[in-house]
Amino acid sequence: MHISDGVLPTSMAVGSYAVSLALTAWSVRKTRGDDLPKVAVVTSSFFVASLIHVPLGPTSVHLLIPGLVGILLGSSAFVSVALGLLLQSLLFQFGGITAWGANSLMMGLPALTAGWLFALIKGKTLFRTVLAGAICGGLGVMLAGTVLAVLLISSGEDFLGVAKIALVAHLPVIAIEAAISAFTVSFLYKVKPELLRTAFPAAT
Amino acid sequence: MHITTVSVYWLAVFLILLVFLGFGCTRLVSFLRARRSSTRSVSRDRDRTIPAIDAHAHNHSPFHNWDPRFKIASLFLYWFCVASLQQLPLCLLAFFISWAAARLAKIPLSTSMKRIAAVSGFVGMFLLVMPLTVPVKPGDHLLVPDSFQFIQFNLRGLHLAVRIGLKATAIALMMDPVLGTSPLPVTLKALAHLRVPDRICQMLSLAHRYLFVFHHEAKRMATGMLARGFHKETSLATLKAMGNFIGMLFVRSFERTERVYDAMLARGYNGQIPAFMEFQAGKKDWLKGGFWVMAGLALVISDLMVQLPLPFAG
Repeated sequence: MHISDGVLPTSMAVGSYAVSLALTAWSVRKTRGDDLPKVAVVTSSFFVASLIHVPLGPTSVHLLIPGLVGILLGSSAFVSVALGLLLQSLLFQFGGITAWGANSLMMGLPALTAGWLFALIKGKTLFRTVLAGAICGGLGVMLAGTVLAVLLISSGEDFLGVAKIALVAHLPVIAIEAAISAFTVSFLYKVKPELLRTAFPAAT
Repeated sequence: MHITTVSVYWLAVFLILLVFLGFGCTRLVSFLRARRSSTRSVSRDRDRTIPAIDAHAHNHSPFHNWDPRFKIASLFLYWFCVASLQQLPLCLLAFFISWAAARLAKIPLSTSMKRIAAVSGFVGMFLLVMPLTVPVKPGDHLLVPDSFQFIQFNLRGLHLAVRIGLKATAIALMMDPVLGTSPLPVTLKALAHLRVPDRICQMLSLAHRYLFVFHHEAKRMATGMLARGFHKETSLATLKAMGNFIGMLFVRSFERTERVYDAMLARGYNGQIPAFMEFQAGKKDWLKGGFWVMAGLALVISDLMVQLPLPFAG
């Protein structure tokens, strides 16, 4: 779920803008010049992937995949997520333009954490890599839900109910994303393993 | 605190209204879209065509002939002014201003409705949840249905949700007049002039261009999967197929970029895309920018200074 315009108090909206801009700048600096177009393209392929709906009983949920972005891009993940969210806001109105900072934090921080953790715990074998992928994929959504709840609750006690419901709505997505991330990582391990190796040079 | 017992029917009326609002917007959008194109997609999934953001950039209006640097800068400030409003009548006013601006900028009604439909899910959730969950404060007006005494419908919550909905819609309607009225490369050039780092502008332009390519690619892959008898269901097999789908989409897009990037380097790409246009700001650009900044500040100041009456406060 992306926060729309008009929910966050001005101080929160402006504050999260500032933090997100700083993190984006850091993330761009960490990206090598040659990799910039690559990151841009990954941004758009994740944008497309997040349009995919996974059936869940009578309804369906769309993928968030902050975990996968982190796994594949490492420290460049934040700028990728931030630009992807900006485009989503401009094109689809998914997430408000004044809440861009908050939404970037909500998806970007989990992406960075997942990327860092993946680089730390992935082993040499297929099993360990897939396990790491599942953990990081699930963790990404879990953290995204947590950051969303924290942002809502700190916007005022009136949003407590909404925050609780949003948090519960994230629970089934954690399992789905863990599974999808595991399958995607397993696929990449077999087909193009170098994609899993380049991420997060800082942690290795 | 003020408690009114109401007939349970009012709760039903509220729920039905909500459902109509949500479904109505989506229906309207798909109806408008179906009228425009007679082709139907193979997939039974909802149509997720990515709209071109600058599809209406060729029209003529006060927004089209406005220097994009001033347009973006002044309306960015205006967006934040609207987002910070506290009083419901002013939020309503902001909504009407945005609606008028979208019409003035010759944005088609279907495009505006699509924006509203996109926020309707989020806003609908707030309308449903907030009245039932906001903590009761002294001075609140509660509606309690006569046969379900445990439900407390807090009008302050409804108030908050309506306010959020109006602000979200007002800002959403304002997106197209700002971004849809000049071609995207020109908008990006304007961003670069406004001190947005060059690298970011380039990545935005590349990412936007590739969106459509990969969306097309994903659709082709989905058609292939359908042709092989794949159907979505709640099962591990579906998740595995989708995991592989995303992996493949990623590998393909990655390899494609490497090829294209090498080709760009071979043609002398050095991180700069040359642009053959210069911005020229006139008096009118300043005036329009000034108008929107003043409008935003006027909204904020009257929000802080003037106590306007609350509708349905009880």
